[in-house]
Amino acid sequence: MKVILHDLEPSRSEQLSSKCDAIIEADGKYAPCQGCFGCWVKHPAECFMKDKLQKACRTLGRAEELVIITKNLYGSYSTNIKTVMDRTIGASTPLSTYRAWEMHHILRYGKHSLFKVLVYGNITEQEKATFTYMAKRNAINDGYNESEVLFFASASEAESAV
Amino acid sequence: MKTVFINGSPKKKISASSYLSAMQRLFVKGEKVTKQLRNKNDYESIFEELKDADAIVLSLPLYVDGLPSHVLAFLEEAEMFFRENDLHPNLYCIANNGFIEGRQNEPLMQVLENFCFRAGINWRGGIGIGGGVMLNVTRFVFLVQTAVYIIMLIITGFQTGNYFHEGVISAFLQNVGVLLFFNAGVIFFFIRMGIAINRRGKDFGKHYTRILIPSFIFIPFANLFFLIYSLFKGGLFRGWLAKK
Ligand SMILES: Cc1cc2nc3c(=O)[nH]c(=O)nc-3n(C[C@H](O)[C@H](O)[C@H](O)COP(=O)(O)O)c2cc1C
Repeated sequence: MKVILHDLEPSRSEQLSSKCDAIIEADGKYAPCQGCFGCWVKHPAECFMKDKLQKACRTLGRAEELVIITKNLYGSYSTNIKTVMDRTIGASTPLSTYRAWEMHHILRYGKHSLFKVLVYGNITEQEKATFTYMAKRNAINDGYNESEVLFFASASEAESAV
Repeated sequence: MKTVFINGSPKKKISASSYLSAMQRLFVKGEKVTKQLRNKNDYESIFEELKDADAIVLSLPLYVDGLPSHVLAFLEEAEMFFRENDLHPNLYCIANNGFIEGRQNEPLMQVLENFCFRAGINWRGGIGIGGGVMLNVTRFVFLVQTAVYIIMLIITGFQTGNYFHEGVISAFLQNVGVLLFFNAGVIFFFIRMGIAINRRGKDFGKHYTRILIPSFIFIPFANLFFLIYSLFKGGLFRGWLAKK
């Protein structure tokens, strides 16, 4: 399954949906994570907040390939994208193990193949380095075999690179 | 000199971030203020304190190898606030994460450095701390231990007439020593970062430490912790590890 997570205008989803199996719109119409770990210890793979991200980890967890389209923010994902990432840690289990010689969580849905990030907007060289590094870290943490980060000046260029 | 401590955990109380920043606060001189950053309603009173701040200590958890999204949202506002008011305070960071390796906080540190560059404020470095949840637990273990040993002193005192039984006191001190040892790396860097802050914003650089336990002991304990936690919360019986 190929999943696209994007913070573009929601109207862009229609076009993008022909290129993937599932789309998550990071439109900011949801609350940030409260850090309660309920999605691990109380109601597995489900958030206590009843908004559109309540079960989003089940979609992300099943992604063979994940494509994230995000605006740059200090070499990090945009706030709207990052909220989705924080709210979907139920894609892993609460148990930990060694992965790449470090401590990481055991995955609920097993390993994935490609973690791809298409970044748009004004960006410094230092921020590019941070972003590339962060995506690499995310790929290890979430059990992806490889990560790829590409940079674009505008949202439409990033979109057409999917 | 004024230092503002900002706790960036969304948790209302007993967060690792507030525990760690309270510890750092002990080693900082001058005027000190602590603020909670949990949502947009907190911005205004934080900005009010930042107007005359010399140093900011941002204490926050690592979320998915980066900053929690509500802190990112705050930084976007703060960037404009610092620029519009032409403010250039020194920013220090205390990042803590659940996994044992403090170095996993590196991307978060880089993002904060990039933020400082854009906001025109001074990035002065920080401490990345592994095993934050477990460190947070040590303070409660300490309280429980203290209570248990006081009761033991009273009981032995009642039985023997000696209310300061040496055996009980030395057992207590040994346990305190163990807890202190777990926190020793953190305390060492808090003292050093405190010195840097007190020297009017000296650069501290990035440093990484952790709870002082080997990972092959830490990991089974973390798993046991979540097993018991999930047992009490009921998640264990609701498809704990299932593909939902
Ligand atoms: C949404 C979420 C994502 C997290 N991601 C990570 C992570 O990528 N790496 C890690 O080591 N810990 C991670 N943690 C664990 C927290 O960093 C850890 O629980 C921290 O001690 C919380 O601090 P606090 O009590 O101040 O909120 C995550 C926790 C949450 C709730």
